[in-house]
Amino acid sequence: MFLYDFTQLTSSIHSSLVESFGEGALTTTIELAIAGVAYLIFFAVLGLFLVYLERKVCAFIQNRLGPMRVGPWGLLQTIADFIKLLMKELIYIKSADQFLFNVAPFIVITASFLAIGAIPFDKGLQVLDFDIGIFYVAAVSSLGVLGVLLAGWASNNKYSLIGAMRSGAQIVSYELSVGLSLMTIIVLAGTMQFSEIVAGQADLWFIFKGHIPAMIAFVIFLIAGTAETNRGPFDLAEAESELTAGFHTEYSGIKFALFFLAEYINMFIVASIATTVFLGGWMPLHIPGLEGFNHVMDFIPPVLWFFMKAFTVVFIMMWFKWTFPRLRIDQLLTLEWKYLLPLNLINIVLMAVVVLLGWHL
Amino acid sequence: MNVIFFYIIAAAILGFSILSVTSRKILRAATFLLFVLISTAALYFLLQVHFLAAVQLMVYAGGIAVLIIFSILLTSNVDFTFEKIDWKKQLFSGLLALGGAAITILTLLQFNFKALIQPQTVTPDIRSFGRAFLSYGDGGFVLPFEVITVLLLAAMVAAIMVAKKSKQ
Amino acid sequence: MSFESLLLMRHELLLLLAIVLLLIAEIGTNDSQKSIISPLAIILFALHTIVGFLPLQEGSLFGGMFNTTNIVATMKNILNLGVLIILLQSWKWLNAPENKVKVSEFYIVLFSTLLGMFYMISAGDFLMFYIGLEIATIPLAALAAFNRQENKSAEAGIKLLLSSALSSGILLYGISMIYGTTGSIYFAEISQSITGFEPLQVMAMIFFFSGMAFKISLVPFHLWTADVYEGAPVAITSYLSVISKGAAAFIFMVILFTVFKIFTPVWQDMMTAIAILTMTIGNLFALRQNNLKRYLAFSSIAQAGFILLGIISGTATGMATVVYFILVYIFSNLSAFGVVSIISAYTGKDSISDLNGMYKTNPKLSLALTLALFSLAGIPPVAGFFGKFFLFTAAAEKDFYILVLIALLNTIVSLYYYLMPVKAMFINKSELPIAYFKTDKISQLGLAISIIGMVVIGFASPVYETILSFCFGI
Repeated sequence: MFLYDFTQLTSSIHSSLVESFGEGALTTTIELAIAGVAYLIFFAVLGLFLVYLERKVCAFIQNRLGPMRVGPWGLLQTIADFIKLLMKELIYIKSADQFLFNVAPFIVITASFLAIGAIPFDKGLQVLDFDIGIFYVAAVSSLGVLGVLLAGWASNNKYSLIGAMRSGAQIVSYELSVGLSLMTIIVLAGTMQFSEIVAGQADLWFIFKGHIPAMIAFVIFLIAGTAETNRGPFDLAEAESELTAGFHTEYSGIKFALFFLAEYINMFIVASIATTVFLGGWMPLHIPGLEGFNHVMDFIPPVLWFFMKAFTVVFIMMWFKWTFPRLRIDQLLTLEWKYLLPLNLINIVLMAVVVLLGWHL
Repeated sequence: MNVIFFYIIAAAILGFSILSVTSRKILRAATFLLFVLISTAALYFLLQVHFLAAVQLMVYAGGIAVLIIFSILLTSNVDFTFEKIDWKKQLFSGLLALGGAAITILTLLQFNFKALIQPQTVTPDIRSFGRAFLSYGDGGFVLPFEVITVLLLAAMVAAIMVAKKSKQ
Repeated sequence: MSFESLLLMRHELLLLLAIVLLLIAEIGTNDSQKSIISPLAIILFALHTIVGFLPLQEGSLFGGMFNTTNIVATMKNILNLGVLIILLQSWKWLNAPENKVKVSEFYIVLFSTLLGMFYMISAGDFLMFYIGLEIATIPLAALAAFNRQENKSAEAGIKLLLSSALSSGILLYGISMIYGTTGSIYFAEISQSITGFEPLQVMAMIFFFSGMAFKISLVPFHLWTADVYEGAPVAITSYLSVISKGAAAFIFMVILFTVFKIFTPVWQDMMTAIAILTMTIGNLFALRQNNLKRYLAFSSIAQAGFILLGIISGTATGMATVVYFILVYIFSNLSAFGVVSIISAYTGKDSISDLNGMYKTNPKLSLALTLALFSLAGIPPVAGFFGKFFLFTAAAEKDFYILVLIALLNTIVSLYYYLMPVKAMFINKSELPIAYFKTDKISQLGLAISIIGMVVIGFASPVYETILSFCFGI
């Protein structure tokens, strides 16, 4: 059953391709194309579903029903919205820097595309498995901010510019906390490779293995991750009451859709990293000593485990957004530089002590 | 396959570099520079040195390019363009640059490069990088690693010094 | 490696300790307590200087990345002395009300650049050399822009930054060629792998040479010098002209002697041409200056040309004369800058015509400046004479007679412009000479140390002999 192990599926695709086209450039190109198309489809479906989920969660928290009209439980609502977005006019802004204005959304979406390629969804269902996995994801996700900055500047609009500056300051600051909280777990795991990190959690997830420091790191990662994706309560970059829509005020149609999509995909990427690094990735919930329980858990396919955990984290992040009021920019920076960062540094030392003395489970 | 990719990436690096220095809008120049940096990272990925590639992305594309763009955002607006340079100057400096490049390339081609290390014998994995960074024996890099921190500290204090205003 | 072996890095570690203590002092004091920072910094640095003179073993650390030899330790001590004098001389200026807010930053950044120079001159590989060089230059740009509100100072900062970035680029290109052809960054290994006149390696040497020529401001790479020296605060100008230049010239010489020793004929030819150009152009431009700082800038370009005379010989004597000349040059130039700095701190004036008739009002300062200029010109009995004389003999030993002849001619030209301020002070009449003012004790101390050093070193032959015993040739 391939749901449990995707290596069989991928190797069978590979061998059949080799049979018909031979080892060489052609096979590699076709495989690259297949992976690319698969990710594109995944991107689109995921984006649509996340938007739907956001509206439903928002409605749930505000004691409403949310979209109900289009399709059963409003399931087709976002598809309809998407079609409407595609057909909207692309507004041409005369005084904008056309080249940068057009290139900005692609930088943002490329960054999320590059990042999601390294996430392991299941055994063998992962495109890039570098030995520097986490570092790679941190590196490519830092590219997204460039798109935001360029978009804000090229729009030639003061709201956009203010939004972009806020977003830049915010992402650059919170990147530190994201990186350092992941580093805490790297100290525990002893590797940065995603496949090895997941394999290391076969008996117990890292959040339980590293107990106190790991949990602190998890909380910091959630906060900083939410901030890094520019989501509420940290959505100063697009604070609609002050800046209309921040850096993407001037965008319309498909270009706006790309920003919109990237924001949701980024949220999912943060959730997947949290899942992989802290919550065992696709590993089922295992508790050492309870053999029977562990066997029952093994029957649920790993892919399901992964998405269950990832969507739980996504739900928590949405919960943040619809519960907390928006921060001011100085409060935001104070939170990062004066509280999260020192706490993080102490936490890393704590984790190092725990690992050195063998206090982890 | 690798050769094809190499030429694509190399062409991208060269093309974006030329665009970057010829563009007369400052933020466009910075964006092309960003593309150059990203393409360089791609070249490292092609060479299988993932760590270096990620560092290139993180430090140059995600760090330095952001700083450059940030400072442009703070200081200039969309309508600003560099003035056009006199064609005589352009011709003169172009010829000079071409001459320099020709000499350098000719000398480079004359040298008989020998592979000093067999590429197959080295697997640049992250653990060996980490050990090299922190070892203090032969071939260890802990001293430069630590001395750079002094550079960063000094640069930070220097920046504060320049920005600080007297209280009156 | 044991912890005791880290004692070889005594100079660096003590300086780092001073930096950290100053950082803590800056954080731990409130506005009314800030006045302790200056004395603290000077006392810490004086202690560091004194400890530096204790005997030190030779040795290398970190797999040959850090080397200490007697000559390197001597060079560090010379730099320390120079910085101590600068700190004393800049006291008055730094404690002026408009500069007071950034006192501790000034010291921290200045010490960091000195630390960079220490690592640069004891580097055993190109990586440490380059990092040291960068620590010694990037923060200096900020120091040059210390008075940011003044346009000239800001301009000096940005010019220094841009020109040093360009020269670093050229330097790095050269280093990358060396690494590409030899596969090593360690000086010792590279000098073994360079066996013949490979064009690419010669080219790498030329790039390296040009990059360093920028840092030492040799003609035709000197264009930034005058503007930066004029715009920067006097303390930084003197730091740039003696400390930075001395350290860069020293490591330049060491690398030419060790790494590029096969290419000696090539760099000797290049250096002959550049030395002649540098001396001549430096002198000719100095003739036309009226601003004291620009004047001293061109004079320091010319002096750098003289330093090349010692390097070019490639002998142990040559190296000894270069180090000795740097020592003498530090004392004489700092005496001159000390007077300029005192005058500009008290009266705000900095041109040669302002000096007219100064002997009547401020005789002591006038005498000090006269002595300093005599030393820079190379008039006996002051140390400057011996410094230049030794350089000439070192070059003559290796039969560079034409070069020595041109250098002698240049010395004669330089006599003219070094005596211009002297004429202004003693002979020219002025309606409004600089009024009498009383110099504060600490500036006096700084000036006194440099003048005593300048006079005494000329007669103390053990100094030169000790330096000579530490030196090596190709």
